[in-house]
Amino acid sequence: MTDTPLNFGDPEDLERLRHDFRAWLAGHPLPERPADEPLPVFLHRWHRQLHSGGWVGLDVPEQYGGRGLTALHQVTVSDELGARGAPGVPRIGYLAHALLRFGSEEQRRRLLPRMLSGDDVWCQGFSEPGAGSDLAGMSTYAERRPEGHYIVNGQKLWTSYAQYSGLCLLLARTDRAAPAHTSISAFLLPLDRPGVTVRPLRAANGDDEFCELFLDDVRLEEFERIGAEGDGWPLAMTTVAYERNAQDTGHLSKYGLLIERLRRAAHERRGTLPDGLLSDIGRCAVDYQVLVAHARRRTAERLAGQSAGPESSVDKLLMTRAEQRLYETALKVFPEELYGEGGEVLGDYFYSRAASVYGGTSQIQRNIIAKRLLGLPVGPRA
Amino acid sequence: MERDEFTLVRDMLRAFATRFRSGSADDVKAQTRTDAQRALDELGLTGLRRTSPPAATAQECALLAEEHGRQPLTTSLLGTALLAPELLRLLDEGERAEPVHGARPTVALAGDLRFPDRDAVGLVAWDCDGADTALLVHAEGRVTEHELGSPAPTADLLRGVRRASAEGRPVGRITPGAHRSWQAYALVVVASELVGAARAFVEQSVDYARERHQYGQPIGSFQAVQHQIADATVLVEACTSATRYAAWCLDSETPGRALTAARVAKAEVNSSAVEAVYAGMQVFGGIAQTWEHVAHLYLRRALVGATTLATTSDLLTVLAAPEGTR
Repeated sequence: MTDTPLNFGDPEDLERLRHDFRAWLAGHPLPERPADEPLPVFLHRWHRQLHSGGWVGLDVPEQYGGRGLTALHQVTVSDELGARGAPGVPRIGYLAHALLRFGSEEQRRRLLPRMLSGDDVWCQGFSEPGAGSDLAGMSTYAERRPEGHYIVNGQKLWTSYAQYSGLCLLLARTDRAAPAHTSISAFLLPLDRPGVTVRPLRAANGDDEFCELFLDDVRLEEFERIGAEGDGWPLAMTTVAYERNAQDTGHLSKYGLLIERLRRAAHERRGTLPDGLLSDIGRCAVDYQVLVAHARRRTAERLAGQSAGPESSVDKLLMTRAEQRLYETALKVFPEELYGEGGEVLGDYFYSRAASVYGGTSQIQRNIIAKRLLGLPVGPRA
Repeated sequence: MERDEFTLVRDMLRAFATRFRSGSADDVKAQTRTDAQRALDELGLTGLRRTSPPAATAQECALLAEEHGRQPLTTSLLGTALLAPELLRLLDEGERAEPVHGARPTVALAGDLRFPDRDAVGLVAWDCDGADTALLVHAEGRVTEHELGSPAPTADLLRGVRRASAEGRPVGRITPGAHRSWQAYALVVVASELVGAARAFVEQSVDYARERHQYGQPIGSFQAVQHQIADATVLVEACTSATRYAAWCLDSETPGRALTAARVAKAEVNSSAVEAVYAGMQVFGGIAQTWEHVAHLYLRRALVGATTLATTSDLLTVLAAPEGTR
């Protein structure tokens, strides 16, 4: 944490970008989503549209298909989308950063431009039935054959939108004996590879975002490994650190839009609101705007040379607080969603309950803050 | 200020704070207060916001207020060095100003320490150690100078508050834009001091959790204690981000955006600084509940600070209004 003034961005430079982006948006309105179109398909069309205007991967170097600008530029684009009620920027920032840091030059040049353009759709194969937040408990095994390739066996769970993806960032153990932080490796798994089975799993909100992934004698080549053998642990830590930052996941714009909807609804029903509901809405606005300020501070710190680390657990807990309180309040403002057919708010409410579970549970985040950020002593193991 | 110039000023304030901090409530005496204020005055910080453009940015002033909040200090850095000079600076840009009679103004607030509304009664001079007069900004932008009266009681043992005369002498006006900037700046400066206090107290509780043993283990190794400290840390980080961003907005954004950011920061700090101090007190356990421990000095500061200028309820009501109706 710095105790000298932070640069939250050059207002003129960012204003110019905002102006250009608005002008582009005016000529490229949000595509229509047919009632029967699955959300990821719609978001993918939106991703491609944004990319055609040069609005994806602003902070990725130009030689890899980005624009070589800063994270603050990407933040500005996110802000603007949120203000307009458009879906956020594609959630690929964390994957891009994992490749930038651990991928070979060949992998960066081959994979990043296709990731940014949406030609390749990625998912993430980290969690397992026996190991959710506890990555050290992972049992998927990639056995290295004398010829150099790997044979992978195991099962992954909570792999978001695998049925719409072509590639998976897969973690697998490459050494059964060594401790977790040196025995896990990362791979690039094409999901059409023989031996891969994808099975969607219906979630509490009715959506089939989550998938199970079964891997039976799947062959992966050596060049499909990302980083060295045993780099899987630091790669996962980098990836989840970025994934826990609200700015990188594009959640902010979604929250901002809903809060404005709640404010308007409350304004129209003045005098008939249940006690305390106005305060609840104000509190949601505070949570959201604190999150915006916090994401900007993190971005400014990142630009000042600090990399994403255990601090991202703070980000994740703040994001969880904002999201869960927001959708609880939204259900109070729109109680009809509970008694009718349900709707978007009810669906998002269920999704918000997962916020304290996915990407590492809230309890895991607190452990990380206590031990890695504050250096508190390791406790007795039960 | 240049970066190294700011570092110098901050280090000066840090050295001052280490020397004049109150080790316990028993150290808070009239003589020690006077000595501390004299020593603070010698640092010459009243010039930071007096000129246009100001010598220090709002961001720098906010960081100094944060530093001031880290130790239990009785000195009036906020009222006399940061807030009153800023008000005079904004006044200079508005309509013609009458001279201020007092040599050392602080700011006046309503009796409940909030921003005065149209019929504010029971005015007080807030944060008045070393001050000889108090400036009041009326709801419609008029600024008046008020005489200081007898000490007014407050639960914050560190903060000097005195009654102020009901009638004031006019000294000028500030424009509506300047009024928004003024409110934003005041909210940010007050919030910053509370951020410093909450952060420092949580840090002290982390150190204590490492040293204090129970059941043959440092208590900081117990997950129940770790999670409590982790939650307090999250709250402090939220306060820090919101407040520092709001300070940056004062230097870089329109007064309207700066005021929204400042309201958000104060609302977050109002609830989270108190919660963070509660968590720290729980970690310290029994000793923190005693008069001699510094814990209650931090708690008192956070508790009163949470109602100063704008209460949570004031702020949440405004922030619940749709854009454009505020």
